[in-house]
Amino acid sequence: MESAVEIRHLVKEFRLPGHKTPLRAVDDVSITIAPGEVYGLIGPNGSGKSTAMKALLGLVAPTAGTCSIFGNDSLKVDSRQEVGFLPENPYFYKHLTGAETLRFYGKLCGLRGPSLEKKVGELLELVDLTGARDRRLGGYSKGMLQRIGLAQALVQEPRLVILDEPTAGVDPIGSRQIRDLIFELKGRGITVFLCSHLLEQVQEVCDRVGIIFRGRMVKEGSLDDLLSIDDQTEVILRNASPELLAKVREAVLADGAAELIRAGKPKTTLERLFLQETLDRKEP
Amino acid sequence: MTATATAGRSVPPSNRPLNPRRVGVLMFHTFTQLVRMKVFYFMGFFAVILLASNLFNLQSFGQPDMEGMDVLRTIRSWSLGAMTLFSTVLAIVATALLLPKDVEDRTLYTILAKPVPRLDYLTGKLLGVLLLLFSSLFLMDLLMSGVLALRMHDVVNSQLAAAAKANWPADQIAAMRVQTEAQGVTWSLHGAVFAVFLRSAVMASAALLISTFSTSTLFTTIIGFLLYFIGNFQADARHAALGGTGEGTGPLAKAAGLGIAVIFPDFQLFNVIDSVIEGAAFPLSSLGMLTGVTAFYVILHLFVSWLVFSGKEF
Ligand SMILES: Nc1ncnc2c1ncn2[C@@H]1O[C@H](COP(=O)(O)OP(=O)(O)OP(=O)(O)O)[C@@H](O)[C@H]1O
Ligand SMILES: [Mg+2]
Repeated sequence: MESAVEIRHLVKEFRLPGHKTPLRAVDDVSITIAPGEVYGLIGPNGSGKSTAMKALLGLVAPTAGTCSIFGNDSLKVDSRQEVGFLPENPYFYKHLTGAETLRFYGKLCGLRGPSLEKKVGELLELVDLTGARDRRLGGYSKGMLQRIGLAQALVQEPRLVILDEPTAGVDPIGSRQIRDLIFELKGRGITVFLCSHLLEQVQEVCDRVGIIFRGRMVKEGSLDDLLSIDDQTEVILRNASPELLAKVREAVLADGAAELIRAGKPKTTLERLFLQETLDRKEP
Repeated sequence: MTATATAGRSVPPSNRPLNPRRVGVLMFHTFTQLVRMKVFYFMGFFAVILLASNLFNLQSFGQPDMEGMDVLRTIRSWSLGAMTLFSTVLAIVATALLLPKDVEDRTLYTILAKPVPRLDYLTGKLLGVLLLLFSSLFLMDLLMSGVLALRMHDVVNSQLAAAAKANWPADQIAAMRVQTEAQGVTWSLHGAVFAVFLRSAVMASAALLISTFSTSTLFTTIIGFLLYFIGNFQADARHAALGGTGEGTGPLAKAAGLGIAVIFPDFQLFNVIDSVIEGAAFPLSSLGMLTGVTAFYVILHLFVSWLVFSGKEF
């Protein structure tokens, strides 16, 4: 089956005025995303996440390497038929109302008539902006803009959705709603490619993650593989009495070979992995 | 979009450049954007100028055929002058505003992330500005025609009164009337307004071209106006050189002249507007020629803009 996203050895350099050596924002990154998968790209600020996404959308031309969406080269217009994009800090035409914005983007995708109107209503409902449908975007809050951006990305029912920090500036409730929405998209078989700094959420929704640092992919794989520690086993108990825990401890001690490292609530570990792969990384 | 363009082949034919519906969506969007930026407020200024030109009183010269003629000429000349000013400023500023604004606000990302060819985007923007220019000039033409027709009525009446007093023969009065009506609302006058539109269209497409390689509104606006003045000045210089000795032009001036000729049509062509103000006729053939020349330059500008814009990164 044809991959939803295929980024091969992508290199992107920016020529900076006044500098001799160009800035290498993305350095030999390859990402393949299967249809229906939710892929999370994480990395510190300025590591090249947005640049990789823009190259995938043909907004910047790769210095080397290729990008394609469902087999269509990203530099061709046709590749954008099947993709919805939410840029980081999205900003739309202030003079349009919420409904007009969605109508505008829908028309650009070739939708029209009653089916477009229906879609606009559905999407506004989906992102919880029905009440603000006839207000101009100039008066929208940051979180509302983020949501209208999400709705706009979904307007032509694309098979791939690219979300650049979908939860930035969104309150915890909204952020949860966006997470649920991603689950819903996944349920419908839509491929999602997102990047976010909310590692807890990435861990919750993504099937696979890639960690990018200074333009290079430093770790990639399915979440299960990345986060499982091979020589450790987690036993999660419900309603365990202190007596039972004491017994478990005793049993472990009696075993001799095994060792109880910690007993308590399971913790987010993608965060730990992230820090280990980026901050604690020895210079390559 | 047909329902058959589904999963299997993801290459619907409508993604070819210059899809009329997509360009239309972008055009009307740009038009709405400019209208909601309150650009129509300047129509108020136009009305004020028109009223001011209308305040001139009929003067008695003792010559019936001269009675009030200058009033009509003032209205025509002030109106067309104001139209030229507004349409040029609007063409340059509006166009210069649109593209860098989309880049700065990053609204361009969301548009180009949809299946929108870059040529369609540019064409839509330009046509939106042209639509705005056309509709505002159309409104101004209506206003001017209305005022002119009213004053015309006054002028004819006072001429008739003066002629009756001077005991002019009937055929002389009829001839005078024809002459006076040539100063009123004529097809040539509408043609001149259309020529104003054509000139602003060239300025809009030139500003679009400039804005594809500058990202700042200010830069585009300044260069736009500079080119406008150079173009006008150069047109005069070119004619002076051709009509005069032709010796005075050095190689540098010639090269500059050639450069301008590549960017702009000969602005001297638009001097018909002035002769129409003086009451000359504007034959359909020269209007057609002017339209053709303008279309050529607008398409040339659009094409070069597209060449620059298609390689651009954001
Ligand atoms: N248009 C550009 N011109 C010059 N440099 C750029 C451009 N776009 C990005 N860069 C540089 O490329 C690098 C990667 O930027 P990018 O926006 O991809 O980072 P990011 O991973 O998305 O960061 P963040 O988490 O802050 O959004 C940065 O050093 C940035 O300065
Ligand atoms: Mg980013």
